[in-house]
Amino acid sequence: MQQRVITVVLLIGLCFGLITLGAGVSSWRLPDNEQGYAPKQPIDYSHRLHAGELGIDCMFCHSAADKSRHAGIPSSDVCMKCHKVVTSSFDVLQDEMNKADEEKRKPKQIVSDELRKLYDTLALDETLQPQRGATAKSIPWVRVHNLPDHVHFDHRAHVAAEVTCQKCHGPVESMQRMEQYESLTMGWCVNCHQESTKTGINGKSVDAKTDCAVCHY
Amino acid sequence: MSDVHASLRSPLVTGDKTISDVTRDICAPMDRKPTALWWSAFGLSLTALIVGVAAVWYQIATGIGTWGLNKTVGWAFDITNFVFWVGIGHAGTLISAVLFLFRQKWRTAVNRSAEAMTLFAVMCAGIFPLIHMGRPWLAFWMMPYPNTRGPLWVNFKSPLLWDVFAISTYLAISAVFWYVGLLPDLATIRDRSEPGWRKRITSILCLGWNGSARTWLRYETVYLLLAGLATPLVFSVHTIVSMDFATAVIPGWHTTIFPPYFVAGAIFSGLAMVLTLMIIARKVMQLEDYITMTHIDRMCKLMMSMGCIVGLAYGTEFFMAFYSGNGYEQFVFKNRALGPFAWAYWTMVSCNVLIPQLLWSRKLRSTLPVVFVIVILVNVGMWFERFVIIVTSLHRDFLPSSWASYAPTSIEIATFVGSFGLFFTCFLIFCRIAPVIAIAEIKGAAHLKKRPPAESITEEKAA
Amino acid sequence: MNDSAKKTYWKSFAQRDGCLDANEADPHQAGPAPFSRRHFLEAAGFTLSLATLSGCGRAPEVIALPFVDQPEGMIPGRSQTYASTCAGCPAACGLLVGVRDGRPLKMEGMPEHPLSRGGLCAIGQALPLGLYDSHRLAQPLASGKVTSWEDVDESITRLLGEVKQGNGAVRFVTSTVTSPTLKAQIDAFLAQYNDAKHVTFDAVSCSAILDAHEKTHAARVLPHYKLDQANVIVAFGADFLGTWISPVEFTAAWQTRRAPTKKHPKMSYHVQFEGRLSLTGGNADRRYRLSPVEYGGVLSHLATTLSMLAGEDPPAGRLSESPIAATEIDHLAEKLWDARGASLVLCDSQDVSVQVLVNFINHLLSNYNKTLDIQRPSRQRQGNDADVLNLVEELKAGKVAALFVAGTDLTHNLPDHKAIAAGISKAKLVVSFAERQDDFASLAHFVCPDHHPLESWLDAEPVAGLVSISQPTLQPLGGTRSILESLARWSGDSDSAYDILRASWRENVLPRVEPRPFQAFWDKAVHDGFVNATPIAPTVSEFQSDTVALVDAEPSGDDYTISLYSKVGLTDSRHAHNPWLQELPDPTTKITWDNYVCVSPTAAKELSLSNGDLVRVETDEGSSVELPTLVQPGQHDRVGAIALGYGVRGTDRFADIGPKWLEGRPTVAPGELVGKNVASLIETRDGELQYTVSGVTLTKSGGRRDLASTQEHHSLEIPRNVAPHGAEVRDIIQETTLEEFAQDSHAGTPHAHHHGDTQLWAEDHTKSGHSWGMVIDLNKCTGCSACLIACQSENNVPVVGKDEVRRQREMHWIRLDRYYSGAGDDVSVAHQPMMCHHCDNAPCETVCPVLATVHGDEGLNVQAYNRCVGTRYCANNCPYKVRRFNWFKYEREDALQNLVLNPDVTVRTRGVMEKCSMCVQRIEEGKIAARQRDEPVVDGNIQTACQQSCPAQAIVFGDMNDPESKVHGAFEDPRRYRLLEEFNFRPSVAYLRSVKNREAADGGEHHV
Repeated sequence: MQQRVITVVLLIGLCFGLITLGAGVSSWRLPDNEQGYAPKQPIDYSHRLHAGELGIDCMFCHSAADKSRHAGIPSSDVCMKCHKVVTSSFDVLQDEMNKADEEKRKPKQIVSDELRKLYDTLALDETLQPQRGATAKSIPWVRVHNLPDHVHFDHRAHVAAEVTCQKCHGPVESMQRMEQYESLTMGWCVNCHQESTKTGINGKSVDAKTDCAVCHY
Repeated sequence: MSDVHASLRSPLVTGDKTISDVTRDICAPMDRKPTALWWSAFGLSLTALIVGVAAVWYQIATGIGTWGLNKTVGWAFDITNFVFWVGIGHAGTLISAVLFLFRQKWRTAVNRSAEAMTLFAVMCAGIFPLIHMGRPWLAFWMMPYPNTRGPLWVNFKSPLLWDVFAISTYLAISAVFWYVGLLPDLATIRDRSEPGWRKRITSILCLGWNGSARTWLRYETVYLLLAGLATPLVFSVHTIVSMDFATAVIPGWHTTIFPPYFVAGAIFSGLAMVLTLMIIARKVMQLEDYITMTHIDRMCKLMMSMGCIVGLAYGTEFFMAFYSGNGYEQFVFKNRALGPFAWAYWTMVSCNVLIPQLLWSRKLRSTLPVVFVIVILVNVGMWFERFVIIVTSLHRDFLPSSWASYAPTSIEIATFVGSFGLFFTCFLIFCRIAPVIAIAEIKGAAHLKKRPPAESITEEKAA
Repeated sequence: MNDSAKKTYWKSFAQRDGCLDANEADPHQAGPAPFSRRHFLEAAGFTLSLATLSGCGRAPEVIALPFVDQPEGMIPGRSQTYASTCAGCPAACGLLVGVRDGRPLKMEGMPEHPLSRGGLCAIGQALPLGLYDSHRLAQPLASGKVTSWEDVDESITRLLGEVKQGNGAVRFVTSTVTSPTLKAQIDAFLAQYNDAKHVTFDAVSCSAILDAHEKTHAARVLPHYKLDQANVIVAFGADFLGTWISPVEFTAAWQTRRAPTKKHPKMSYHVQFEGRLSLTGGNADRRYRLSPVEYGGVLSHLATTLSMLAGEDPPAGRLSESPIAATEIDHLAEKLWDARGASLVLCDSQDVSVQVLVNFINHLLSNYNKTLDIQRPSRQRQGNDADVLNLVEELKAGKVAALFVAGTDLTHNLPDHKAIAAGISKAKLVVSFAERQDDFASLAHFVCPDHHPLESWLDAEPVAGLVSISQPTLQPLGGTRSILESLARWSGDSDSAYDILRASWRENVLPRVEPRPFQAFWDKAVHDGFVNATPIAPTVSEFQSDTVALVDAEPSGDDYTISLYSKVGLTDSRHAHNPWLQELPDPTTKITWDNYVCVSPTAAKELSLSNGDLVRVETDEGSSVELPTLVQPGQHDRVGAIALGYGVRGTDRFADIGPKWLEGRPTVAPGELVGKNVASLIETRDGELQYTVSGVTLTKSGGRRDLASTQEHHSLEIPRNVAPHGAEVRDIIQETTLEEFAQDSHAGTPHAHHHGDTQLWAEDHTKSGHSWGMVIDLNKCTGCSACLIACQSENNVPVVGKDEVRRQREMHWIRLDRYYSGAGDDVSVAHQPMMCHHCDNAPCETVCPVLATVHGDEGLNVQAYNRCVGTRYCANNCPYKVRRFNWFKYEREDALQNLVLNPDVTVRTRGVMEKCSMCVQRIEEGKIAARQRDEPVVDGNIQTACQQSCPAQAIVFGDMNDPESKVHGAFEDPRRYRLLEEFNFRPSVAYLRSVKNREAADGGEHHV
């Protein structure tokens, strides 16, 4: 009996192992190639909702993309521009409004689970008032696109050349959880630089250099 | 052929040997238990090797700063040792391939060990360019391989890249040449061995050698072709090594004489090392009948002529510096002879040019202790030649503000000692597991006694 | 069973993604146990290994923390610049602080500043490293123990009350305070006590100049020297380009008259008399070796000759025999006389009678209010030695009840430490404001650490009428407190430093400028960093000639005279904790990490000393010190020179700096400090602290201490035994004289064979866009080494420690080559900044096997650190030897110092080659910024770090393809030459030939 149990366990293990190995091989990548990296974020923020469905411009939140080498991760006050009012999904809020209307009462404050996390970092209580004695903290977002230290990528140059965000970041507007869409290897960068120099971007000719010193210094 | 052996020449094998004597004598060291002498030599070499491995480990873990190099002298012991070992590795191919093509039959006594020596020396040499890198774990970047870095490839203009190709080709060809030459002897060992692990291993290694005429025919063809293939390498390897310097702009490096000069020097040092090893081996392994004084005499003559070529090269360098009218060039050579490293320069000149002149005397050529001392000094001198070229050219170049000095650290010395450890450990193991003299070849080359029928029967039985 | 296997599956999958909860991973809960744990682990291990195989781990998770509320105007990743004032020394140069993501990183000179004109010295550049120093005190100390500010305030207020009641003496010692606000604050604080005094003590003081002016002009002022107005400059010992009073300002002014052009072949004439070889002396047109004790003698002769020229009676007194030939003195006097009103005589003597004589000469030459301004005097050195000596007496007598010390180390910088320490112990209240436990602070009852200058509000008025602001650029890193606030607390106020400063400006500065609303005025002042205000002129009387007398020069006998000087880059002990400055090679001696006794080659021979031999220096008063020798050509044979400011408490911390390995030696031997404090040799005479000490005996003491020099060979001349005929001297430095230059602007070009100007890879090096190039004017470059620290700060160059420097492995990207030339002991000095030349036919590029160093299409020789495998072939093949190899991983001895790293530049790992990149990060930034604005790159918008900081503006950088650019113009200059041009490396860096203001025939021994 025991022997059979072990055999079954081993077999099942082997199957799963082979399946994962197969999956792994199919997405085989070289060390340091983080293509497809989609870490779990502290708040389940959806680019699909914000950038896709609501059509918010990328630069609304990542406002430094045309001013600094970093596009910038929006500070919490940017979130609060909308989420001071929008505390849950629109349907839920609408339902509550209708219900409150019917019941002739003030609508209750409804806060979704994910947004609760945002308010928690900002030390806001149920009614979005600052909690006493608590200090607001930064949201510890996990970086998705990590270039090595010896690579200096500058958003400004690319924004100025009218390279779309999606060119490097992929179809962000359809991503529920942000992932690294492209391989971001040197060959990938160089390829785009060479192609753009040949064909131009949006009909405008560009001189995208492939000198080492463009990125490495 | 052997019947028309010229009696004017001294015989290649002395001691009135029969063919089976030859086999027995040469295989004897393999059949015996190792002697105390072998064990002590092996212990010494292994200790040196361990010291070297420890030094290399420490240096890779800590940084190249553990060497005595500085911002001005970027190469010293590392490349000196590299060129030194590559040079030693030269004689093997010269003796095996070039002398084979020229039908120099006396080579048969020394070619096997010379080839082995080549192999081990090139191994030692190969270590230095690897460990001298700041980041040796990235050495594979020197190889042109498809990568994800777009147009980034290797620099085909760089002599260091040529080195990679030259040395690896040389190592590969030398290894194949040595192995092919070993085939008939491996079969001999197989046939002589009692059933056991040795028999099993040798029967695999000898690739099914059956001693038939067809086997011999193919063997001879392959050997000849390989010899033809290896001969240009004798010239190409050190030519390319010399270009590490000759293509640089540093006065003292930037000279066109380097390729022939380096090849001559390499052969010179290689012969010296072969002689060193042979003098020891014939004594220790009682092979006086096979490596005779005639061999030593011829090797000495060859070495002396090479020494003269090297001396001519030294002189030419000075003349060219004088004749060029280039102040920087003139300074480097004056600085070599009279500057802070003059002691190294004069060591080099006396060991490589002056002392080998003693070999004009037949009497000295036939006095083994003298020959031994001379070849040791030539080894030393040739090491210093590389040191002089590398360090004295670098340490005082164009701008006096960046002149610097150089002294090796204990780590560098330990690494150098370690390379000798590796070399001798490998060589001593080789002496134990393979015939140091090409049995088959020497049988073909030497004029041997007809074997008595009785003995032949016993030998066949043993087989 | 399925269940358990599934759990196993999730375990491995989760671990692969690195987001597994610790509880889920517990194998104990993995399933029911029909079989042993051992069996289970076997099965689990098998599947796990397969799964691990399938996905090699992700890179470590990186967390990005955005702001909660992003401050307005703050853009992450962008550098912002704030105007401020440098507090490295009282010269108070204009400063632009580059702040990146809340961290001040790069100090730059403020180009609009009227004094420093955009330059900044090495000390100013090194400020941020001093900021990020975990050895700075973070909390106040009471009796050496960490305490709170409340406790300190309470105790000090209580003790001050007792002092006040007992009518005890309160003494407040500071180094020169240029801040009007702080000065007023100290005065107000002291006004509460009956017997209170503010004593100004400079570690290296100019007190005699002020005292001499008190005699001759009845006002204790330091004139504001205007070197840009002077055609003839005669300096006696004053190292005005190196360390004296305000070197950046003086260099900036001096260089304006050091650039002769083809059209105007004119330049100032600079003569230096000195005992040691100073930076200034090395740059002089004519240099005389003169023992400092003989300055008076020469000045007397000069005064007498000039009086005759002026038709006046020479000053009274005996004229001793001149150490300099009479013809030379007549010649010099004539030159000075011809340049009346545009000449300047400077002297660093601490002998008041000598300084009076200097004033007399300047008066005779009608230089006052032309090249010396005493209406708008300098406030950069206010030390009053008489007060200091008085205080020492009071201390010894136990008369001081409360002692406050700020900005200086009273015990370290004065002789007779023990007696002073004993005197201090008698005081009731001893307070130090030091930022670390220095010698005095360790004796103090309370240490109230002041903010670092980059953390605090303050102001400065270096020259009457020029008031500048120092503003904080980050929140204080520790619990330090501004001295302004501390004094306010003890006077019962609770104002912040900002409020105090604003109030002071509203009251004192606003009325001195054109009337306008305060807030607007304040905002503009903070933005600009400085304001021009009506100076408060001192009351100066007419020149009082009756005070002048000739000085009887002491005959210099066989005894040695020791000249105590402050070293460029390490002017006083306050910067001794800055490893950048400790590793900065002295511009003249090229020694790092130590002080030493400089002696002339003749003296060295007499004493049979060679470099590194320990020598015992003994004064006739019995103080002695033992230091290594440095043989210094160009030094007076009877003069030894030792740098002050070494042997600072706590510098034993540098034992840990640099790599540690088998043969590595620590920078500081156990139980020792960096260098030795030689303040004990300072003599007090005539109420002044004397840095020239006569009657010294030097004896070889037997031992050795290796000096870490960055340059082994010091001459353009090849050592005689290896010099080829006809090539004994290398024409690396090209020099000519003004006379020759006036006749032929190409004078000084060597007759060399040129191999044409072939481009080896013309098709690869098209340089169709920009072509970056640099020209360095050797006539302006003084060798001050500010560029070296600017580069170190900008490019994250590591500090390697003394042992590595000794092994010739310093990492500085700029090397300041210094060559002596000339026969005998009278040497001529040449400085040549040497960095990567970015050759078009670069020898380094062809030999790299992995293409780690390649040519960019804008003419830069690019080094891709991450591609480098470290064969060092490029460095071997570099004719200029400017490549630097990372022999080890150079970690900082203090982890906090990592905050000083510039995020724009990769930090190099061990085993890779690095070198000057011509600040390619700045070039890329400038190009992107221009593209962003849709404009072409404007000349001058991109500046390299070295160029920006150069006080002499000797470095020009720009696009050579731009015909309007300054660098293009400089390339056309007839003085332009390229180093090793005959080899056709085609470097992008060129030099402008040095022109010395000498007659062609003058001083054959001076040039080669």
